[in-house]
Amino acid sequence: MRHKKNIEKFVRVRKPNVTTSRRMDKRTLNDSFAAMEQTIRAKSTDLRPSTPRIITLSRMMKLTAAAAVIIVGISFFIAHQGPGKKGVTTKVLEVVESPSEIMTMKSLTIAYRRGGVEGIENQCEKALKILGPQPASISLGDLFNGSKS
Amino acid sequence: MVEDKILVWKFNRGSKDALRRIYEKFKDDLLGLAITLLRDRSLAEDVVHDVFVSFAGAVGTFHLSGTLKGYLSTCVANCARDRNRLRSGRSMGPDVVEASGSNSGGPMEHAIGREESSRLQDLLTRLPYEQREVIVLHLHHDMRFREIAKALDISINTVQSRYRYGLDKLRSILNSVVTK
Repeated sequence: MRHKKNIEKFVRVRKPNVTTSRRMDKRTLNDSFAAMEQTIRAKSTDLRPSTPRIITLSRMMKLTAAAAVIIVGISFFIAHQGPGKKGVTTKVLEVVESPSEIMTMKSLTIAYRRGGVEGIENQCEKALKILGPQPASISLGDLFNGSKS
Repeated sequence: MVEDKILVWKFNRGSKDALRRIYEKFKDDLLGLAITLLRDRSLAEDVVHDVFVSFAGAVGTFHLSGTLKGYLSTCVANCARDRNRLRSGRSMGPDVVEASGSNSGGPMEHAIGREESSRLQDLLTRLPYEQREVIVLHLHHDMRFREIAKALDISINTVQSRYRYGLDKLRSILNSVVTK
C-alpha cells in the first residue's frame, strides 16, 4: 500500500513534458497579436477627446467644472429666489405708472357723471385726439378742460 | 515573479515581444495541463490558443494579482472544463497524448520515464474530472488549495476533499494494478 506522500511524489515527478508544435505556435501568436491590435485600436478610438472624458481625466478640469456648476447654480438662485430686488423694482414701476391710469379713470368717471355713456364716448374721442400723436405733452388741465366742453 | 511582473507591465503597454515571451515561457506547461485534463491534444491546443487570444485581448487592462502561471493555468483549467462539458461521447484513446516523463537522462531512463508518464496519464483518466483537475493543478502546477478554490469558485474544503478522494482513488487503482 502506497502512502499519500508516495502517491503525491509519483504524480508530481511524472508531470507530462509536452512541447507545442510550430503550427500551433504560429496560429496562437498570430491570433493573439491580432486580438491585441484590435483591442488597442478600439481603445484609441474610445480615447478621442470628449468633454466628459476631459473633465474626468484632468484634476484641474474637474475643479473648474465644479466651480462653473456652483457659479451657475448661485446665479440661478439669485435670479429666481434672491433678495427680491427685482420684485420691488417692478412694484415701484407699477406705482409710478399708476397716477396716469388713475387720472384717466377719474376723467372717464367725471365724463360718465356729466354725460352718461355718450359723455364717456366723447371723452374717449377727445382723449384720442389729444393723446394720440403726442401723449407725453398732454396735461391734466387739457384733459379736464376737454371733458367740460 | 518579478520577471513576470515586468512582462505584464510591458504587455499592458502593447509590447508584442512581451506577449511572445509570455507565450514561450508557459506554452508547454499549459499544453501539458490541458492534455492531462482533456486527454485530447488537438482539443488541448485549442484551449491554449483560446486562452492566449483572450489574454491578448485584455491588453492595457490586465491586472495580475497572483502569479502569471497560476492565472494562465486557471484560465486553461476553466476553459478545459467548458470544453469537457461540451464534448460528449467522444472517445479518448490512450494514444492521443504524446507525453514523456520530465526526467531526462539516458535513453533507458527516458523510455522508463515516458512509460511511467503515460501510465500516470492513464491512471488520472480514471479519476472524475473534478478530482483530476484539483490534483493536476496542485501537484503539477504548484497551486495552493486556496488559489485553486478561488480560481474554480468553490470552497477550500471542497478542493481539499476532492484532492483527498482523488489521491485515495489513485492509490486504490495502483494497489489493484500491483496485486494483479
